[in-house]
Amino acid sequence: MNARPDHSVLADQEGSARDDLLMDVRNVSLSFGGVKAITDISFDVRQGEIRAIIGPNGAGKTSMLNVINGFYTPQVGTITFRGVERRSMKPHDAVRQGIARTFQNVALFKGMSTLDNIMAGRSVLMKRNIVWQMLWRGPALREEIEHREKVEEIIDFLEIEHIRRTPVGKLPYGLQKRVELGRALAMEPSLLLLDEPMAGMNLEEKEDMSRFILDVNQQRGTTIALIEHDMGVVMDLSDRVVVLDYGKKIADGPPDEVKNSQAVIDAYLGVPH
Amino acid sequence: MFYRIAGQYKTSYGADYALFPIKQDAWLLALILVFAFVVFPLTASDFMFRALLIPVLIYALAALGLNILTGYAGQLSLGTGAFMGVGAYACYKLITIFPEMNIIGAIVLSGFFSAAAGVAFGLPSLRIKGFYLAIATLAAQFFLLWLFQKWAWLYNYNASGAIQVPNTQLFGVTITGAQAPVLAQYFFVLITVCILTAFAINITRGRIGRTWKAVRDMDIAAELVGINLMKAKLSAFFVSSYIVGIAGALFVFLWRGAAEADLFDIQLSFRVLFIAIIGGLGSILGNYLGALLIVALPVIIGTVPAAVGLPISSAMVEHLNTMIIGALIIGFLILEPHGLARLWALMREKLIIWPFPH
Amino acid sequence: MSYLHSIFVAPFADMADAPDFFLQVVWEGLVSGVLYALIALGFVLIYKSSRIFNFAQGIMVVFAALTLVGLHENGVPALLAVPLTLLVMFVLAVGIERAVLRPLVNQPDIILFMATIGITLFLIGLGETIFGGANKVMITEQLGIPTGSWVVEPFGGFVSVEQKDVTAVVGAVLLVIALLVFLNKSKMGRAIRALGDDHQAALSVGISLSTIWVLVWFISGIIALATGIVWGARAGVSFALEVIALKALPVLMLGGLESVTGAIVGGLAIGILEKVFEIYWGQPLLGGNTEAWFAYMLALLVLLVRPQGLFGEKIIERV
Ligand SMILES: Nc1ncnc2c1ncn2[C@@H]1O[C@H](COP(=O)(O)OP(=O)(O)OP(=O)(O)O)[C@@H](O)[C@H]1O
Ligand SMILES: [Mg+2]
Repeated sequence: MNARPDHSVLADQEGSARDDLLMDVRNVSLSFGGVKAITDISFDVRQGEIRAIIGPNGAGKTSMLNVINGFYTPQVGTITFRGVERRSMKPHDAVRQGIARTFQNVALFKGMSTLDNIMAGRSVLMKRNIVWQMLWRGPALREEIEHREKVEEIIDFLEIEHIRRTPVGKLPYGLQKRVELGRALAMEPSLLLLDEPMAGMNLEEKEDMSRFILDVNQQRGTTIALIEHDMGVVMDLSDRVVVLDYGKKIADGPPDEVKNSQAVIDAYLGVPH
Repeated sequence: MFYRIAGQYKTSYGADYALFPIKQDAWLLALILVFAFVVFPLTASDFMFRALLIPVLIYALAALGLNILTGYAGQLSLGTGAFMGVGAYACYKLITIFPEMNIIGAIVLSGFFSAAAGVAFGLPSLRIKGFYLAIATLAAQFFLLWLFQKWAWLYNYNASGAIQVPNTQLFGVTITGAQAPVLAQYFFVLITVCILTAFAINITRGRIGRTWKAVRDMDIAAELVGINLMKAKLSAFFVSSYIVGIAGALFVFLWRGAAEADLFDIQLSFRVLFIAIIGGLGSILGNYLGALLIVALPVIIGTVPAAVGLPISSAMVEHLNTMIIGALIIGFLILEPHGLARLWALMREKLIIWPFPH
Repeated sequence: MSYLHSIFVAPFADMADAPDFFLQVVWEGLVSGVLYALIALGFVLIYKSSRIFNFAQGIMVVFAALTLVGLHENGVPALLAVPLTLLVMFVLAVGIERAVLRPLVNQPDIILFMATIGITLFLIGLGETIFGGANKVMITEQLGIPTGSWVVEPFGGFVSVEQKDVTAVVGAVLLVIALLVFLNKSKMGRAIRALGDDHQAALSVGISLSTIWVLVWFISGIIALATGIVWGARAGVSFALEVIALKALPVLMLGGLESVTGAIVGGLAIGILEKVFEIYWGQPLLGGNTEAWFAYMLALLVLLVRPQGLFGEKIIERV
């Protein structure tokens, strides 16, 4: 890799050469009119790891996820996912390629039940055409049942059997976040993007959620990129952390190392640049 | 008492997909079908068929079509009347150009014409959202109505500008036209409506129905879980307009017997919209309840005051009817935004636990 | 070839040949445009302050006009009937706030929209029950509106201008000025404008939400009465006006739901363009009566290019 700008802690310079790379973000910049949301950010995600993205409010974390799953198109930079390089793509192509996500502000289908929300996550995996659906026979019914079984596994896993039929708009916030995780899992992603999955939760709920995230990572082998403000959680869960501030990468490395980086401490204490 | 779910365990997800997971629902439906197919035909008068039963079924079908678009897929439409018109004119042209054609074939095909019109005017939905989209359906409403008036080919250059339903036969029985026995027409409408309703139930509970509801509830999120918004929206316009078109063909061929362009004006669009709202957006059953209410209300207003010695003029009946429907819409939105269908669901839940609360 | 000629050349040649007639057409279009703009304006006010897509605005015009004529028919002198009608519009605003808006506060937009369709129906039914369904004639002369016409002679031709149309245009301009002054200068007006942006900010001015809503609906009622008078003078008073009132919708879409300027520009543009299109293209080529759909198609085309309307703010989607 040629002249890559060095941002303080870069523990992982040789990273892009590794063959267990799942995704590689190169020199991505994104701005809205005059607002620079992301400036020249590069980082990678390895197969099977939990990668945390942290930073103060407005640092550009959510924007980064939006770039990764194709909701925003960056002005500069590329993203290589499973060896395929691209600048932009349609969000539903991202899903097809195995990128699923949850949202900072829950984005569930409020009028639909938990079951339907999670089933909706499998839409891309279902194929039967409208004629079969109309008749509700043969292939369409078989397909529906087959996917329903997968969804029931997720429901069991997330311990939300009791709210299977409840419209999600009526659920408390913590459970909504859990259903949203379920919907993302239903897409059978190889990369799962989680945007503040524990925001607004109490301690017990956070512990549950942490357990689910670890289980997903370990049992299903799903690679996870996680935005989280709770440092304790980040330290516990993540293998590597990338830190953003004002749209720039200021640190990247294992949790302990990042925690002690001067740039990170300054950013969180609000030391002026 | 009547509703018991105890002891009804489901042993597979397949069983869970039965139309009626609860047995009593199936019995209730069976009862209604017995009335529709046996009791009414044996007892109802011609007036009952023409003033109540046939129009309720046809309006319910139109509302079902609209409900798929607005209640399930969240795309507001104010052009239902015109799409019914497309179905009716298409059926008329098919029957008059190909006199040998079977009436069933003509009706089935006519739906595709309205579906095509629906998709054409639905294309803007890919770019325009919410209330702004209402303009696309209004454009359809006014443009198509104008076309029905100005394009003389559509009504075979009749001097009156109206279309007159020709006689057609099915299995040797006259089905449409002035000589058709009302009972045959009733059965024809009933069977058509039953079949289309079954299809609609199946589509709305499967994958396609879920993508519609996802688009309705939050279209960005739908896109981000991999739903193709274009397919979801256009398929909703297609299916909705298909059903609406069939309802339009039935409306003219099996009920009115003749039609001028004005029959499909915006008032008709609104009437169907009211049925869908009062019945319940996002529900199938609601369309029937709503249609029953909207069709029966003027009949009731016309007869009840007279029966208690307060005869009112027919113009007054119409005025009161409009006012009451307006009040009903507001009342429903305040008390139960999900309409009659939700009221029934609540009642059913009460029945399930009755007589032991909790 | 001749077909293309009749679409792309002939109409313009006709315009150039008889500029006085063209002016007459534009003037007629302008007057309807003013009326569309007025209805749209009442709508924008309500939308800005409460996010309600008020489908009933058109019917309020008819209802106000009917009440005025109905009162007069029952022996109330014309000049007393006007304040009485305003009183009725005020009572209506209070009633709508109490019976519809308050119980439905915080409901999804679509529910509120449906509720205004309910209001529309209720008002039609109520109006017809009280005043009957028959057409009525606006009490133009009794209100002191001149009914003669002037003849202007530009380019050596002549254009005839109805005095009541001039009154309508002048009245509309005054009404809009008064409204803008009210919105920009008075405390209430500023609260209304603030409400569109932020409920909290408006409440901090110390005016309750209900008061503002009643006020906004009342102002829309005043605009409705003004529109009803001038429109009634041109076309008679009946519920058939409702279909014309629906044209405020494409006007709004064209202008953007929240823009006062958009409502005015959109109204005038649609009024003039649909008239010109009808005379030069509709009647010779399409069999006429294109005014029934022209406005909707135009708005649709504009929206395809600018989904937020000409003057609306760009909608940015976030997750
Ligand atoms: N669609 C958009 N239009 C304009 N500006 C945007 C848009 N999306 C994000 N921004 C801006 O980009 C910057 C980064 O926002 P982003 O949401 O990515 O931050 P974040 O790190 O997720 O913050 P938080 O911790 O508060 O969620 C902010 O200044 C934000 O206002
Ligand atoms: Mg964020």
